[in-house]
Parts: sequence; C-alpha cells; structure tokens
Amino acid sequence: MSAPSNPDSSPPPAGAPGEDELRRQALVEIRRILGEQRAAAASANVELSQALVADIHLDSMELLTLAVGLENRFRVKLNEADSAGIVTVGDLVDLVVRRAMAGRSAP
Amino acid sequence: MAPSSPPAIAAVGRALPPHRVEQETLIEAFRALWARQHFNLERLEDLHRAVRVGGRNLALPLDQYPALDTFQKRNDAWIRAARDLGAEAMKRALEAARLPLDSVDHLFFVTVTGIATPSTDALLVNALGLREDLKRTPIFGLGCVGGAAGIARAADYLRAFPDQVAVLLSVELCSLTLQREDLSIPNIIASGLFGDGAAAVVLEGGGRSPARARFPRVRATRAVFYRDTERIMGWDVVDTGFKVVLSARVPVLVRERIRGDVDAFLAAHGLDRSRIKHWVAHTGGPKVLRAFEEALELPERALERSHRALEETGNLSSASVLFVLGELMDEEGEPPREGDLGVLLAMGPGFCSELVLLEW
Repeated sequence: MSAPSNPDSSPPPAGAPGEDELRRQALVEIRRILGEQRAAAASANVELSQALVADIHLDSMELLTLAVGLENRFRVKLNEADSAGIVTVGDLVDLVVRRAMAGRSAP
Repeated sequence: MAPSSPPAIAAVGRALPPHRVEQETLIEAFRALWARQHFNLERLEDLHRAVRVGGRNLALPLDQYPALDTFQKRNDAWIRAARDLGAEAMKRALEAARLPLDSVDHLFFVTVTGIATPSTDALLVNALGLREDLKRTPIFGLGCVGGAAGIARAADYLRAFPDQVAVLLSVELCSLTLQREDLSIPNIIASGLFGDGAAAVVLEGGGRSPARARFPRVRATRAVFYRDTERIMGWDVVDTGFKVVLSARVPVLVRERIRGDVDAFLAAHGLDRSRIKHWVAHTGGPKVLRAFEEALELPERALERSHRALEETGNLSSASVLFVLGELMDEEGEPPREGDLGVLLAMGPGFCSELVLLEW
C-alpha cells in the first residue's frame, strides 16, 4: 500500500495544495488510516457519502485513531465540539480542509 | 464419604511496588514520546485523564524505564520484580490467614505481563522456603480474567483435596510491558490505564477450619467463552515484546452479555441478582465499570471499591479483582455478614468471563 509520506512537521510551502487537492488528500488519508485497521480492500472503497458509524461501523477507538491520524497528517486540531456535526466521510473531509485552510492563513 | 463444605477463602494479601507516580507526572513523562508522532498532544493527555486513574505504583523508578529498550531487558527486570513483589504478597496473605509458609500444598501462579522458566512460582520455592513437594501450576495468558479464573481453578483443586491449602498468586507488572515505540491509540490508552501490583489468595479446603472469624466460601464457579472474539483484547507478541490489542468492543460486549451470563449462573443455583449483597468486579476501566453497573442494574455505590481501586492503582490486570476482594474481606466499617452472598466477576482475552459465587 502506498502511504503518503509526510513524516516531517514543516509547514506547507508557498505553493501549498489548493482546496480541491486538500480534499483529495484528506480522502486518501482516511482510506489509508482505515486500511491499517480494517481490510485494505474494503477501505479503498470508502466514499464521501458514507456514514462513519452507520455505514462503515467504526467504533470509538477507530474513530479516535482516525481523528488523531488526520490531525497528524494535516497538522490540525479536531476537538470534541467538532464531532457533533460529523456524520459522513464527506463531513470529516470538509472539517479537515476547513481547519487546514484556516491554519494556513494564521500568522 | 460425606461431601465437605466448599473451599474457603481465608485471606487476600496485597502488595504494591514502592515507586508511586501520580498520573500528571506520567503524562508529563509521556509527552515527549508522543510528540515524536502526534500533533495534538492535549487530546492524548485527555485520554490519560479520562481513564480516571490517579496514579500508579511502578515496579521500577520512573527514570529507569527508558533504558529498558529491548524485550530481554524488560523481561529480566520483570523476573526480579515479580519474584520480590510476589513473595511480599504471599507472606502477607499467609500471615493474615495465620498459616506458616510450609502449609501451602499447591501454588497457582497467574500473570500475563512477563515470562520465566523456571516460572516465578519455582523462584518463590527458593525465595520463601516453600515445601519441596509443593505442587505448582503456572498459568500464562488469561489476562484480566486470571484472578477470577485462578480462584475458580484453585477451588476446583481443593474440592478434590479438602484437607489442603492452595494459594493463588497473581503478579502483574504492566509497566514492564510498555512498548515505547508503539504510539497507537490503544497503546496510549493502555499506558494510561494499567499499573503494577501483586495479590495472593489463601484458599483452604472444605475439610479445614480457617482461623478468621468470617470468610467467604467458593460456592460455585462458571466459565463463559465468547466465540470468535479473539481480537478484542490480548497481546501481539512482537520482536520487542508484548504489543497490546485493545478494542472498544470490550464495554460493548459487557453490555451485551454479562447480564444474561450472570442470571443464568445464579438461576442454576436457585438464585437471582436481588439476593447478591456484594459485587466484586474487575476494575477494567471507567467504561467497563459503568457497563457492569448498567447491565446488572446494580445499586449506586455497589462497585465503589472497584472505582476506588482504579483511582488508586490503575488496572492491575488479573490482580485487580483480588485487590477488590481483599478490600471487601478486610472491611471494618460494615463487614460482610454470615450468610451474605457475593459475585466476583472478571472478563479477559478469549474473550471470556469467569464468575464466582461467594457465600459468607
């Protein structure tokens, strides 16, 4: 499996990926993290419209692992209050992109 | 031959290692490690606070852990510390039971946190001067259910030999299993939850008369295995030692299964939950304790001793339920009365439960 390599904590360069590219990367990362916990074949088919709990059946430990993995990859913080509106994979991608873009505009 | 009384639990001896470290100090020590891979350290700190553990008594001083960078070094430290802490717990238990060390006929030794051959029970024959005809049964791999299962197996043995004395010794040094390089969420939770400790239970066969005025007898036991749940809890044995497998399904399974299992067990002995005065539950963690309370519809404070044990020492794996039993037996305020019934219960890798019906 080809994991995106981003071990460093360096901030995004001036030519940082745009919003569409970030969205693509977030979905790839979600599939990769789920693939580490579940059968890789099943996680490769995860789509934006699927519900994290109702469709993919993630339990609390898997959800936590997913959140922490996204935080590490995109250098964002997702807190408890965020989780209220998150139902689908697409909701989670939106949140991550929003946080990543906001972090970029901060000094 | 007329059937004798069920085996009696004469005493429980507990021993904690001397190196007390508060949870906030441990969090501080873990921070630098977590920062190697993780971005949101506050989230991980919150995980260590959410397990409701106030601190742990560690087998070694905190500053000695980083040097234990191989399985061999950790396990060598485990062998020494397990022998010494186990000896302490056994001496205390036999003293409380007012029995000499050479009265022990059978030593059951349970652990899941280290391995030794000759096993720790053999080291204790030398360290404590136990008898040369001592029967030894080392049991590895039961995890958190080992304390309850150990009482059950020792009681089984004493039903065949009612004039004998058996000791169940549990030694768990969870801190010496820590995989520092494993920065997964289950391992971070485990490193916040599990602690070190040893407990020894003296059991006397039904043909004997324990010295203590009031004590419980092991009236019945039951093992329950949950098929096809192998990945819910356990170890992956890797080159660096024991890597924890821990799933969020543990409290879910408690909620789904424990009420039916307990009710069936009690019904087989003509009882129901309303007759049970004392609940001695393994201190799995806050979610597991809540699941026990709700599934079994327990009165408020029924598991107070378990909550307190969790706060004081963390989850001691197989030793935890024995610490809670010891606290109940040594209770001075409102000690159990003659005729009181109790259920001791724990769950562990398999996944499985062990249930023990106690009668004072």
